[in-house]
Amino acid sequence: MNGDGLVLECRDLRRAFGDLQAVDGVGFSIAEGETYGLLGPNGAGKTTSISMICGLLERDSGEVVIDGHPLTTKSVAEKRAVGYVPQDIAIYPDLSAKENLNFFARLYGLSGVERKKRVDEVLEIIGLADRANDRSEDFSGGMKRRLNIGIGLLHSPHLLILDEPTVGVDPQSRNAILESVENLSTEGMAVLYTTHYMEEAERLCNRVGIIDHGKIVAEGTRRELIELVGQRDRIRLRATGNIEAAAQATASMPGVYEAAARDDGLDVLVDNAADALTGILGTVAAAGVSVSSVDVDEPNLEAVFLHLTGRALRD
Amino acid sequence: MKILAIAATSVQRLFRDRTNIFFVLLMPMLLILVLGAAFGGESDPRLGIVSGGSGALESDLVERIEAIDGVAASRWDDRATIILAIERGQLEAGVVIPEGYDEALLAGEKVNVEFAAKPEESAQALTITVQSVLTDQGAILQAASYAESKGAGTFAESLARAEGIAATAKGLDVEQSSAGEPFVFDQLGRFELGAYSQLLLFVFLTSMTGSTALIQSRQLGVSERMLSTPTSVRTILLGEALGRFAVALVQGLLIIVGTALMFGVDWGDPLGAAATFIVFSLGASGVGMLMGATFKNDQQAGGIGVMIGIGMGALGGCMLPLAIMKIFSPTLWKVAHITPHAWGIEAFEELILRGGTIADITLEIAVLSAFAAVVFALGAWRLRVSLTK
Repeated sequence: MNGDGLVLECRDLRRAFGDLQAVDGVGFSIAEGETYGLLGPNGAGKTTSISMICGLLERDSGEVVIDGHPLTTKSVAEKRAVGYVPQDIAIYPDLSAKENLNFFARLYGLSGVERKKRVDEVLEIIGLADRANDRSEDFSGGMKRRLNIGIGLLHSPHLLILDEPTVGVDPQSRNAILESVENLSTEGMAVLYTTHYMEEAERLCNRVGIIDHGKIVAEGTRRELIELVGQRDRIRLRATGNIEAAAQATASMPGVYEAAARDDGLDVLVDNAADALTGILGTVAAAGVSVSSVDVDEPNLEAVFLHLTGRALRD
Repeated sequence: MKILAIAATSVQRLFRDRTNIFFVLLMPMLLILVLGAAFGGESDPRLGIVSGGSGALESDLVERIEAIDGVAASRWDDRATIILAIERGQLEAGVVIPEGYDEALLAGEKVNVEFAAKPEESAQALTITVQSVLTDQGAILQAASYAESKGAGTFAESLARAEGIAATAKGLDVEQSSAGEPFVFDQLGRFELGAYSQLLLFVFLTSMTGSTALIQSRQLGVSERMLSTPTSVRTILLGEALGRFAVALVQGLLIIVGTALMFGVDWGDPLGAAATFIVFSLGASGVGMLMGATFKNDQQAGGIGVMIGIGMGALGGCMLPLAIMKIFSPTLWKVAHITPHAWGIEAFEELILRGGTIADITLEIAVLSAFAAVVFALGAWRLRVSLTK
């Protein structure tokens, strides 16, 4: 980690394959304990960017700095700081979970008691301790995914890079994976997470870079991105009583852009529903309106992506 | 150490598949056994002897039979067991000396010694050999009898004198000379030919088919993942190369030790045998690495690997001995030397047949070393390209 608390800094990464400019000036940084999401559809340049960041792919230009040290395809020691979890499951199917972990632990430089201890810990983290000696080819897709992630955690890296780790995973395993990533971030690990699942980016990431056609078209927190494109939260109240009066009183509240009466209640547009909801409910009650239900529609990153690129994430 | 970890995983993965255990270890041993039984060098014919008495003449006859060169003689209890042993193939032939052999001969009676054998060529040859021994003893007895009849003393005295003369007489001798070189078959033990030819054939074949492991590693993304760890490309290359070599080494050592213990194969000068095997294995591993780095499809590589392995083995003398090849087609014999197998076979023949040492196979070792160096360099270069592109 450098003096700014940044674990990863990448600047102006470019890579072309023939006429195709796969990555075109990608740059971002990730601080300790932060989870950064690269959100974009298939073919947007996420994996190519990650390959360059991990030192697996030669870049045409740009710079990658991890823990204050430049990282290139020729770097060796610098890779100790990175845990890479590829999109495709990269394990030996004819070896057991434990044998796979032991093999990669050796490559990460762990040995003796330390290796044994860490392998056992990771087996617990990924929930495969009871299947440690089973061949991984007999595992379900979710279990293989978890083992795939476990390998990247073996050496307790400063930066964990996960390339679409939940592709093809059942909901239960997916949730387990997301929980693991949340826990790792809480423990101080910097995480770079690529996905084309909007809900994963929203759940996990402190900041998100929206990538399309090899460029980051927008970057920020979920809130910043939503504000960037002018989208607001909508609160729907089902209510009875003097709805018109309640709408007028609500419209004059700070942070409220619009309050409209309906037959069965009122709709309120706000900057941040979570912050405004308590005040709105108080104002509505003071106007003599009885509220029977509350629905909140928050604009999501899918809408942001659509706004920025003119196409859906899964296009 | 990372190189050892990569190499050990290669070996572990190979033997994790039980079919590989059969093809890598059991199959060569089975073939050596079959080849030894079918084409192996002749062993001494087994001759059983039934000798019930303890007279001097009978003992002398038994000693004469047991002293025959190239015959494995053994003593049996009675005629019935010896006949049964011949029928079961435990013996090629048997000699039954009748009871009262000495007494009958000393009384001047005619004695019939029974010779029993299967109607086979080897048994017929034994008939002549045993007959000559009986004739030898008969000649001495006749001489003693003749001396006794001429009043030269008792039969016993005459017999002792005749034996003494026979032992010191210069007699006739046949001078032998040979023309041409003996066939390899004739000089080798039953299993030697199969052992070294199958060793070279299977070590090379396993290296060829083992190249699929390298391709699978790339296909599975494990190779790329290795590069994402703090492990240099050079370390990965050395690990993969050592893995290929370790597989060849394990297989070869098991065949060498196994054939020595089970079939009594004598591999000759240990230093020469070890050097030949190691440089040959290095070459085979190098070719395997080159294939693994060149092909993209493991099934394609496996099929072509088997074809190359068997083809080079056949051309190199693992199936048709080079000595026979040289007689029937000197051109083919020359062409065979583009394969490492031919050089390996010639090195082993020098060690096993002619009792040579490592000093006698320096040319073969040099050629095999050069081959290994070239293919290893090519394999490492191709693998580096395939890993880093």
